[in-house]
Amino acid sequence: MERQLFSVIHRVNSSLAVLVLAACWSAFILPSAAADGRSVLAEAVVTDDATRQIELVNQLAGATNEVVARALAAWRISELFLHETTDGVKVPFLLDPQKDAEDRQKGVRLVDGEPITDERGQPLAFATFELVPADTTSRLRRAIKTVLDLFAVANPNPRMRRDAVTKLGQERNPDLIPHLEARLETETDPHVTRALIEAIALTKTVNDDPAVRIAAIEELGTMRSLNGLMFLKDMEKEQHTPAGAAPQISAALRKSVLQIENHLWWGNLVGTAFRGFATAAVLLVAALGLAITFGLMGVINMAHGEIIMVGAYTAFVTQNIFKGWFGSSGLGFDSYFLVALVASFVVAASVGLILERGIIRFLYKRPLESLLATWGVSLVLQQVFRHIFGAANVQVDAPSFLSGSFAFNGSPIGFNRIFIIGFAVFIVFATWLLLTRTSLGLQIRAVMQNRAMAACVGVRTDRVNMMTFAFGSGLAGMAGACLSQIGNVGPSLGQNYIVDCFMIVVLGGVGNLVGTVSASMGVGVTNQLLEPWLGAVLGKIVVLSGIILFLQWRPSGLFATRSRSLDG
Amino acid sequence: MRKKSLLLSALAGVGLLASGSATAAETVKVGILHSLSGTMAISETSLKDVLLFTFDEINKSGGVMGKMIEPVVVDPASNWPLFAEKAEELLVKDKVSVVFGCWTSVSRKSVLPVFERYNGLLFYPVQYEGEELSKNIFYTAEAVNQQAIPAVDYMLGEGKKKFYLLGSDYVYPRTTNKILKQYLKMKGIPDDAIVEIYTPFGHQDYQTIVAEIKRFAAGGNATVISTLNGDTNVPFFKEFANAGLTSENCPVVSFSISEDEFRGLPAKELAGHLGCWTYFMSIRSPENTKFVGDFMEWIKAPKVTGVNYNVTGIDAKGRVTCSPMNLSRMGVYLWKQAVEKAGSFEVDKVRAAMYGQKFKGTAGEVTMQENHHLVNNVFIGETLASGQFKIIKTFNGVAAEPFSEKFLK
Repeated sequence: MERQLFSVIHRVNSSLAVLVLAACWSAFILPSAAADGRSVLAEAVVTDDATRQIELVNQLAGATNEVVARALAAWRISELFLHETTDGVKVPFLLDPQKDAEDRQKGVRLVDGEPITDERGQPLAFATFELVPADTTSRLRRAIKTVLDLFAVANPNPRMRRDAVTKLGQERNPDLIPHLEARLETETDPHVTRALIEAIALTKTVNDDPAVRIAAIEELGTMRSLNGLMFLKDMEKEQHTPAGAAPQISAALRKSVLQIENHLWWGNLVGTAFRGFATAAVLLVAALGLAITFGLMGVINMAHGEIIMVGAYTAFVTQNIFKGWFGSSGLGFDSYFLVALVASFVVAASVGLILERGIIRFLYKRPLESLLATWGVSLVLQQVFRHIFGAANVQVDAPSFLSGSFAFNGSPIGFNRIFIIGFAVFIVFATWLLLTRTSLGLQIRAVMQNRAMAACVGVRTDRVNMMTFAFGSGLAGMAGACLSQIGNVGPSLGQNYIVDCFMIVVLGGVGNLVGTVSASMGVGVTNQLLEPWLGAVLGKIVVLSGIILFLQWRPSGLFATRSRSLDG
Repeated sequence: MRKKSLLLSALAGVGLLASGSATAAETVKVGILHSLSGTMAISETSLKDVLLFTFDEINKSGGVMGKMIEPVVVDPASNWPLFAEKAEELLVKDKVSVVFGCWTSVSRKSVLPVFERYNGLLFYPVQYEGEELSKNIFYTAEAVNQQAIPAVDYMLGEGKKKFYLLGSDYVYPRTTNKILKQYLKMKGIPDDAIVEIYTPFGHQDYQTIVAEIKRFAAGGNATVISTLNGDTNVPFFKEFANAGLTSENCPVVSFSISEDEFRGLPAKELAGHLGCWTYFMSIRSPENTKFVGDFMEWIKAPKVTGVNYNVTGIDAKGRVTCSPMNLSRMGVYLWKQAVEKAGSFEVDKVRAAMYGQKFKGTAGEVTMQENHHLVNNVFIGETLASGQFKIIKTFNGVAAEPFSEKFLK
């Protein structure tokens, strides 16, 4: 019955009389068909008249049928196809996800979910290149998007709901208000509720009644709506034209814009400060290992960057092992990162140990040779990793507790950045404890100040050197695991950090941990302060020039340390 | 004694000549000028692979005018002046009939005078900024109006009103964004709705930029047009996703990410964002199914039929096909057709025969225009977590126009 009806409709396509008839008929005889909207959609797909098509799609607003939502989404991305029967009727259909042996897929008719058949009633299977997608225009895709957003307002995922509501609000289409208000009554998630109130207020700013408009404008101001700011500003501009002037609305607009901008200003301030600390933490984490090996021990360690790389690749390998055990999500997988931090310390420390025993211990008295030797080591390490893992970068996925962010007055505060700041504080504290509260620390300081005297009083300087270098390398390895969360992991990772690391250690004053901490803070915060004004390229140039000038003025850095080992 | 040696050398000379002409009758030398080491190797090696595959394909079906293609592969090592030296070596020493090569614009600019001086022939396959035309280069590459302009048109069609142009700091992004800015203004987008930002190569810290984009996108209808190059995309997209920005509230269109680059990028963070090329591996056509299938088969046991050439250094793991690869292959076929039409390998004759040459490629038919660029189909694709693109919009038969003043009117 339904099928007959549709072939009739297809033939006298776009005839309104038949449509009205069909609508009545469906309403009386086939109530389910009218309710599910599949027939309306099928009609829309084969209609040639673009305006009529959009009308039909708009009729689907508020429909609840799952298949309609799926088919609309498919249509928008050209995954809804047309089949032309022998008598020239176009039938829209979706693909059955199951593929047969020849990689062909069956078609499922949009109207009734029956398979597409040939004249003899045999189901047809299509190869991918035989498919003819139903076309769309950009206007149509936008109409579809609105209808899909209305579907998404009922999505079980609150994040999707919020995004959909926000977008519907930005359309400022008064027809949508009933849908939004209906949802507001049943909504339980506070974020979505806020988005709904915002969307309704935003839509009401184009209401004909000035009183409603003023109320809506004030509402946006009170709730500090960042999404509304642009619209309010545009409205304020219109107020300056004689046609748009209305003193009460003007005043309301000015007040709301001021409220939101003030809110945003605080957000920016906190955001910039946070970003500054985050950049400083990254620099500090990367440079702390070098502050030990170069700063305390005086080894010009050009392979420092590659030891960071070793740590990052250790995180990658740990991740893959955990993926094999627990799959790529869930608590089991997420815990990989904590294991990776420990593992990267151990692996990098061992590499450092081998490096110290194999090469560096022969070169303590010859800094220039150690520079060349460690540079050579860095090239070897890069090639080794290129050989094992390939030249392309590898992917280290963030555990769920390090992805995402929360917004402070509109400035995103990322969880991974918070973690790095915390981690930087932790390792600085741990290093301080080690150097000042343990016997190894005492020995390290003794050897650093006067190697010969330390040896005389029975400190095994050889062993202390080995341990110190391994510890510094281990810190670099942990830095690598940390940095894998924010950037690239590839054979050239070390090259990206080595210059910054030396810069921080030298600026802070060689041989002084407090100097390293202050230098990274200074560089990080200055960098983030300058970037919004000068851009990333010029900002970096200014910071580097500043450092050069500073070192001209104070060649030994922020905190000069005098020690015999450094004086040679 | 002296006479004998003269005679000997004469004999040897004749012998050499004979053997030389014997091989010349059977083969034609074709140069491949792609970096196989250095920073660009990761991208350019794929093009060398697909060129060798295409030579094998052509040799198997009888070669070019009955001659087997003999590849001459050189390695300019991502070093721009070395590109010019190697190009000269190919043209003067090896006397190749044609060269396929170059990726970056700076390498192309460096070899251009060499090709003009020796009247050589170069096919260039990678999307670029235009504003150039040499009689010795055929650009199968996407011009700005075959990539950036359709992408922006699509975004305007989707109702986007604010454009954040973000790029790495070098010639391609700067030129493209200059053109785009003018184009957007022409389309009625006001100045304050366009932001243009550059970051240095290898930039790691995208916090400030992402925070700015977040504020920029707050009113809705915003999009990012990205010409960020290489692995700076990783920190950018990680930061972008972390800040709660998605393809839903602020889509990113990237011009430098194809299937091949995608292999080194975080798939999860990139899914849903857009790309714009004249070819995607996911294109549905019998030609593409065959190309992808044959190529995947070929890399397992790579060889070039009919000539004594040892194929080495091909990594068969996780390979994909992408637009620059497809355009490289198409260049070889267009050259073959032009040679056969001209009945000669001479550059001037081949060039004349090239105009109007049509080829039914994997993504539909292309035509070589007199401006040395192609008429080609353009696709907008949405990235999937699988590293493939889902085609969501097709622009048929877009004629490349290298000079922006012609389409900015």
